[in-house]
Amino acid sequence: MLCASDFRRNGGVLLGLVLIGVVIAQAAPSQATLIKSRQDKLRDMGGALKAIDDELKKRTVDWDNIVLPNADTLQSRSGFLLNWFPKGSGPESGVKTYALPAIWQKSDDFTKLAKAAQAETQKLSQVAATKDAGALKAEAFAVGKACKACHDNYRSPDYEKENDE
Amino acid sequence: MSASEVARGEGAAKPAQEGYQRVWDIPVRAMHWFLVLSIAVCWWTGLHDELEYHLYSGYAVLWIVLMRLYWGVFGSSTARFSSFVREPKAVLDYARTLLRRDSPSVPGHNPLGALSVILMLGLVLAVVVSGLFAVDVDGLYSGPLSSYVSFREGRHLAHLHYKIFNYLLAVIALHLLAVVFYLIHKRHNLLLAMLSGRRRASSGSGEDLTIAPWWRFLLGAGIVSLIVWLVTAGFYLQ
Repeated sequence: MLCASDFRRNGGVLLGLVLIGVVIAQAAPSQATLIKSRQDKLRDMGGALKAIDDELKKRTVDWDNIVLPNADTLQSRSGFLLNWFPKGSGPESGVKTYALPAIWQKSDDFTKLAKAAQAETQKLSQVAATKDAGALKAEAFAVGKACKACHDNYRSPDYEKENDE
Repeated sequence: MSASEVARGEGAAKPAQEGYQRVWDIPVRAMHWFLVLSIAVCWWTGLHDELEYHLYSGYAVLWIVLMRLYWGVFGSSTARFSSFVREPKAVLDYARTLLRRDSPSVPGHNPLGALSVILMLGLVLAVVVSGLFAVDVDGLYSGPLSSYVSFREGRHLAHLHYKIFNYLLAVIALHLLAVVFYLIHKRHNLLLAMLSGRRRASSGSGEDLTIAPWWRFLLGAGIVSLIVWLVTAGFYLQ
């Protein structure tokens, strides 16, 4: 027969489960927000590099309105790259992400590549300031290669995904 | 332009060899096999992230498809769309005889095969066009026309490019199955015909191939090369 203490014990277990559920429910949206924000920022960086590449194809390059602000976006954003990948923000979060678990498994290598990308975007800003189209083209390519170096091992291949949201 | 006009060209029809009938001219066969090769290279380079070579092989596919469209209007008799694109009733009539071993023999593409040709050409063109506007996530090897779309749109097109290619692979698989079916069930060796340009003549199988002159091919090649060059340069003429 059930007594009052059993009810109290069962009630305690139930309350514990509810609390865990609430914590998980709270955690999921925050990871989703973080991942969404990371994707937005990285997409902005991709867009900034594209804007520079596109501008360099034109006969007259708009340095002040296109090239320099976009080079600045790349440089300033890349400074925060390593803050965007806290533990738990990988596929285990249940949120759709291209980030592979290798980011946290080989964090030293990931950090090294992210810092190399930061260095390249700094160089890009410096070269952009000289307004030398040939040199900037080469440096924009170097930035793209720095992005690729990281994406090759730490981002899942595009074709496995439905789209690129 | 009528078939007789084509016949007046340098490569006008020669009498068919005893027991054999010419069905495909050299440009059709060359375009077919170079398309096979270029698509294979595109597939491999796309999957292995060799995007620089993926671009080059994609340009080759664009050249071949545009040239095939040109040849479909100005080429030899069996290459012309007007000779093989048929109304739905003719396609259905042919489809009804498909399982018969002695179904009517048609010079060039049969009405059902014509559908798959149109479908394949359309899909190849869709893959190429989406690729021209596709944006590489690293900005290294984006399509030559990617400047005309935003980063986000270009990324969507890159995914669409991949998706349509998968549909194309399915249609290519169907095409290969049909070739095997014709060989085993109907004893028609379509593969050999696409290599040699000839097939065994059968009664009531129509006239021999009327070949368009080479100058017409060269003229088309020049026009198509100019278009492809403009596309690869992204229309930015400096």
